[in-house]
Amino acid sequence: MEFHARNLADAIEVRLTGRLEFTDHDRLRDIVALLDGPNLRRFVVDVSGLDFIDSAGLGMILILQEEAEQKNIKLVVRGPRNDVKRSIDLAKIGEIVTIEY
Amino acid sequence: MPGTGARNCRVLLVSEIDRASLAAALREPCSALVEVVADEGPVGDWAAVAISTTGFYVSLTTGTSFGLQMAALVSDELVSRAVISREQRSVIELCLQEAVANAIVHGNLGISSTAKDHPEGYRVFSQLVNERLADPMLRRRRIEVLTRWSGQALDISVADQGDGFDTSLIPTEIDGTSRSGRGFVFMRALAGRVAVTDGGRCVSLRFAL
Repeated sequence: MEFHARNLADAIEVRLTGRLEFTDHDRLRDIVALLDGPNLRRFVVDVSGLDFIDSAGLGMILILQEEAEQKNIKLVVRGPRNDVKRSIDLAKIGEIVTIEY
Repeated sequence: MPGTGARNCRVLLVSEIDRASLAAALREPCSALVEVVADEGPVGDWAAVAISTTGFYVSLTTGTSFGLQMAALVSDELVSRAVISREQRSVIELCLQEAVANAIVHGNLGISSTAKDHPEGYRVFSQLVNERLADPMLRRRRIEVLTRWSGQALDISVADQGDGFDTSLIPTEIDGTSRSGRGFVFMRALAGRVAVTDGGRCVSLRFAL
């Protein structure tokens, strides 16, 4: 998985590309660190460029949700498609994370 | 990577393999692909595997298989051999991914899913993965994937050399907050049949063709 972060007014948008899977925990630390940005109200994880996500990758999104919640930052997962959408729906991630289709 | 140049071989022995060379090796007309490790001796687990023209077997060390996207490569090969369609591929890849990930992380590396169950758990988990991948004994443990197919079904088994686990603890359902168990729920939702044998060291998946 590769990611690219973009600063907006009171938000950060992180665009993920490639595959988010069990070997990506090291990169998660770098993404979690972005939650420490100043005056952050929203954290958008754009997954429209992701081709694949496994259950460990979904677990990483839940970790981001927990970390964001602790800092009173709204986390949004944007644009899941195809296999990624199927995995998110199967795991019922939308019950606790805001998903923008 | 000695051996990959041989055509019409039935068992391919490889060493120092990376993702590209694994993909190339899988395209060879072989029934078994076994990573050979220096000083491991001439006979590995692969010796007992039945040679078949309607299936193939891959045996890699944990150190090699980590990060190689083995599930994707095996699924690609199944499409290439016209065993499955591109439409079936994504379901099979996800199930195989979950089985391989469990075999590597919880099986051969011996990392419990509870490692994530506390604040900063993901950092601990990540550190454990890196530490155990650096352990020569754990790196050398094998991940074995055996595929077999008939006209009606595709069977895939994934085996590890870990300590196994109590299979009665596998969750049957999850909600959005569940910290673990999604992999098995995915497999049960998407595969025609899921069986866990050998004390949790082997997961067998069946898909209708």
